[in-house]
Amino acid sequence: MKPEIDSLQLNAFVDGELNLSSQLEIEERMGDDPGLRAQVVELRQLRKAILDRASYHAPPLALRKRVATTVASNLAALIPQIAGTLVVQRWLGWRPMVVSLGLVTALALAITPTWLRSARESRLTEEVVASHVRATLGQHLVDVASSDHHIVKPWLSAKLDFSPSVRELQLAGSVLLGGRIDYLDGRPVAALVYRQGEHIVNSFVWPTTGAYSAAVFSTERGFQVAHWARGGMNHWVISDLNRQEFEAVVRALDLVGGEP
Amino acid sequence: MNDGDNRRRFELLALPHLDAAYNLARWLTHNDHDAQDVVQEAFLRAMRYMGGFRGDNARPWILQVVRNTCFSWLKENRPIEVVGFDENDDVVHDVAAPVADEPHSMAVRNADREQIDQAIAALPIAYREVLVLRELEDLSYNEIARIAGIPVGTVMSRLARARGLLRQALMPGARPLLRTVPRVAKGAKTS
Repeated sequence: MKPEIDSLQLNAFVDGELNLSSQLEIEERMGDDPGLRAQVVELRQLRKAILDRASYHAPPLALRKRVATTVASNLAALIPQIAGTLVVQRWLGWRPMVVSLGLVTALALAITPTWLRSARESRLTEEVVASHVRATLGQHLVDVASSDHHIVKPWLSAKLDFSPSVRELQLAGSVLLGGRIDYLDGRPVAALVYRQGEHIVNSFVWPTTGAYSAAVFSTERGFQVAHWARGGMNHWVISDLNRQEFEAVVRALDLVGGEP
Repeated sequence: MNDGDNRRRFELLALPHLDAAYNLARWLTHNDHDAQDVVQEAFLRAMRYMGGFRGDNARPWILQVVRNTCFSWLKENRPIEVVGFDENDDVVHDVAAPVADEPHSMAVRNADREQIDQAIAALPIAYREVLVLRELEDLSYNEIARIAGIPVGTVMSRLARARGLLRQALMPGARPLLRTVPRVAKGAKTS
């Protein structure tokens, strides 16, 4: 008489955790032993019932957000340690990976703007530089050439879903050359083009739902870049002016942007 | 390895297992709020110890951290649930497998989600954790042993016991099993 198969062995059998010879032995014995067979069937039914019907608790959105924020805040703490363009390279290098993280991160992206700001800024800075270089190297600086804001503003408003403020700058040697439609941050934006002395200034404007933010200056491949938000508008300005002159332009533009 | 690499690695390795982490914590703590706290804490711990993780399958590792975080949390907040688990409970009294019978079989087949959830939730935590890891996370006995910090033999006996208890609990009219009651010898008086 073969030894009784105990409950432990039987459970290990249905879990496929026995070694091969024991596994085969039980299978063989099941053939001659209806009682054993019934036990196995019942254990399998129980397993199936749990697998099919026990709750698998999915994490609430709030938790995904919390955990992603925890990870992100540690990432954000890392950023100031890395200087200059390295930040851009790092974030650009991360982007494919961030995307690949799927839902968890996708939700984090949607929910944690503070974390994203750095990534978004880096990306926008690249786009703004590219746009400026394209416009100044090529012939396509303006779609509407006029130094009269009464002409430039309606032209832009007619082609965009918003109406940008357009003013001549109250600065010596400053001329409004005109405006064009450009594409930044995944949407059409207004580009106002000024000449300051011999230098071209591109000033990009588009609506934002974000709050007011003070001007942030940076240098990107030798270009001066500044951005700020005011009155529901994002402003990004770029030029090859020196820092001092550039700041003067930004101050003048900021006043323009502040008007309704 | 610097912090940046560690965190990047962490995102890739650990975040995909948030679902499994929450499911385990939810089954061990019985409620959403506590499970969220535990998982948040566990991910923080996991981040801190990331450097110590070797290998490419992070799921058992994350679940181990979640499991241990759960137990420390329970010890702190609901000691009654984790202390006093009598190791003798691990001795399977009826070593012979229970004889299959049609009423039990039918009860198992017909049990709905609520009944199954209740039956699992009522298991003592030591049984519940191995059952959840085996059935809902599909982990091997070896992985479960590592996560729960017990020998493989104990995984086997707890799993067998857990299933036996579930089978009983699903019978119509079964009393909810909150705790295994030690057997009383025949004729002995209960005081």
